[in-house]
Amino acid sequence: MANKRNTFLLIWVITAVGCLYGFLKYASPKIFQMLMAKDHPMPTPSTLMMWYMIMGVLAGLVYATTSNQKFIDFLSFLLPGHGPFIKSFLQKILFVGFPLLVGWFVYTWAIPGAASPVELRIQHPTLPQDFEKLENPFRQADADTQRKCIEEGKILFQTYCRPCHGSKADGNGPFANSFRLRPINFQDPGTIATVVDNYLFWRIKEGGPGLPSESTPWDSAMPSWKDDLKDDDVWKIIMGEYDTAGVMPRQREKLE
Amino acid sequence: MFRTYRREVPQKLAETPEAVVAGKKVYEKRCWYCHGIEGKGDGPAAVTMFPKPRNFTRNEYKVRSTAFGSVPTDEDLFRIITSGIEGTAMPFWSTISETERWQVLYYVKTFNEQFKKDAPPKVIPVGSVPSTPESIQRGQELFKEMKCYECHGEDGRGNGPLTVALQTEWNLPYRARDLSKGWNFKGGNTIEDIYRTISTGFNETPMGSYLEKLSDEDRWHVAHYVKSLAKDMASDVVVKVKLFEGEELPSEPLDENWSNASAVEIPLAGQILVSPRHWAPTIDAIQVRALYNSNEIAFLLEWDDATNRQEEIFRDAVSLQFPTKIPESLKKPYFAMGDSSGSVNLWSWKAYWQEGFGAVVEAPENEQGVVSELNAKGFKNVTVQPPESQNVTGKGIYQKGRWKAVLKRTLNTEDVKGDIQFEIGKLIPVAFAVWDGSNSDVNGQKSVSSWYYVSLEKPVPKTVFVYVLIALIMGASVEMWFIARLRRFPPKLEEQQE
Repeated sequence: MANKRNTFLLIWVITAVGCLYGFLKYASPKIFQMLMAKDHPMPTPSTLMMWYMIMGVLAGLVYATTSNQKFIDFLSFLLPGHGPFIKSFLQKILFVGFPLLVGWFVYTWAIPGAASPVELRIQHPTLPQDFEKLENPFRQADADTQRKCIEEGKILFQTYCRPCHGSKADGNGPFANSFRLRPINFQDPGTIATVVDNYLFWRIKEGGPGLPSESTPWDSAMPSWKDDLKDDDVWKIIMGEYDTAGVMPRQREKLE
Repeated sequence: MFRTYRREVPQKLAETPEAVVAGKKVYEKRCWYCHGIEGKGDGPAAVTMFPKPRNFTRNEYKVRSTAFGSVPTDEDLFRIITSGIEGTAMPFWSTISETERWQVLYYVKTFNEQFKKDAPPKVIPVGSVPSTPESIQRGQELFKEMKCYECHGEDGRGNGPLTVALQTEWNLPYRARDLSKGWNFKGGNTIEDIYRTISTGFNETPMGSYLEKLSDEDRWHVAHYVKSLAKDMASDVVVKVKLFEGEELPSEPLDENWSNASAVEIPLAGQILVSPRHWAPTIDAIQVRALYNSNEIAFLLEWDDATNRQEEIFRDAVSLQFPTKIPESLKKPYFAMGDSSGSVNLWSWKAYWQEGFGAVVEAPENEQGVVSELNAKGFKNVTVQPPESQNVTGKGIYQKGRWKAVLKRTLNTEDVKGDIQFEIGKLIPVAFAVWDGSNSDVNGQKSVSSWYYVSLEKPVPKTVFVYVLIALIMGASVEMWFIARLRRFPPKLEEQQE
């Protein structure tokens, strides 16, 4: 016959699903806050949460049906029987709890809420044609000139870009927290290391307002520098920026 | 921002000439842009900063564990390089190796002779005393007795009468910290950090050491009081606007009904989008509350400002920005003053200016020039609405280092083209700008925010409860059917059935 522990299988499955919910809702935001080094918790997105919960419930059911014996134990919990007091107590809780849970679901769906909207955007739009043909005039220069350009670029970077992108080009400048679209972290291997330096020239010259609409130009705090910086200075900034971030621009594919 | 306020310092690297040479390399790769090639705090990037970078040739080290006027210990310097300084441009350098950090600090020490001449500085120990309500109470009394308010202000908002008058040798103001902004404490905002600052003071600033003026116990009391003032920024993306039950929406900034509205704090940055850019703004946050009724909507905007001193064109001011039309899609006007394809509606409140400007501003109601409604399609395309379209009313007050301004308008107006028309239940983009007259803020010289949202909350409709009731009944019936069926056909193992 079933051993005693198994007769509470239903409760264990419910507890496990409850623990999963608690983990996703409360523990995971804290863990990701620590892992991603953020100053705020990282809440689990609600759709992701829904899928995890569905998977959790299914996993519980799969476990409960791995053998006939288990399945019987699983369902038998709901049958009246002469178990310990705790069993009939938990039965009552389940009996009242299930309709309440359904009611709560309906309530949270039906009340008018003001969740912040999903604001999807394309981070790396395509480089416009006009900028594709440009060449950094200093890339072919001799080593001394290049070193000088990098140094000049770094000075300009520290003056004009540092307030948002930070002294280390890590997107942690003093203003970084104040813009909802955070300044880009150039040390991140997924950012400037994946593009050719023309791309940066385009971004610096045109800034947020020059983005296509799928990249939400209205939210970007990247200024357009075309009226304030000369082309040569922009190229120097790009060289200084790569140097500060410690990454290299993507090399162009050579066409044979 | 992620900072590691690590108290423990790893094994020291030997202070050898080689280490200093290696440190020079690090310094000239990473530090000199702000601190200057000769360590004088005059690097090329220093112009865009306030507070200014440290001048290493003088002993103006602020965050130390040593007595006032002494040089810091190597460990102090290591901690600062590792953790950076909150509320300043000094970043955390935990990203470079420990060896490099030791090397660069040995090089930095060579800028100042005092490190060599002085005997090794003595560390003032920091213990730990738990906070109690009595201790906070006593601390508040000592805050008065020791005249901390003369710089930090009565409520600790950095608005004391002296802080306005004190100037550094470069004619820059000495700004006492706003103790209510927990995110701006130099050297950290833990109770131990605050105790250390009170004990050691900040070299070459009016923030002296209280080591001898106050007993150890009393310094803990003051630290606990200061800690109780420090708040985190309670930010959110959506400003939820509650339906106000009373007859008329509050129009006074001090109306007690504002406590019913939920407050959201929004971080601000300098306006760096178009020239002339504002690199060193003084206002870094604004708190927003709003209420609406069937007819009107009212906003209460609050921000800390050390002084309401201002000159004729440089005025303390605030402005709310909405798109002229609630966007149907994701597309919005440009967050800074709109653009040619999307115009914005601005509600601006300016402190009333007159000679003999007092401590409390009471702007006359409906005074032209105090509250105005504008439209903009970009920085260069700003128009003030004609008098017949000016529908916003407002009132501001300055109290204990904080401006509070109310802006109020009907939900809908006749000027459908130029004015935002509020709709209940929709997410309406909103952005903020604040000017500090004493910081020579005017026009584009201001603190700005990104787009946020206001949402006029729908009252919960009665039908919801009907749905819930139906759900409860259905849930219960399904459950009973299931259990009844289970009882009739109890599950059995196949062999048992045989």
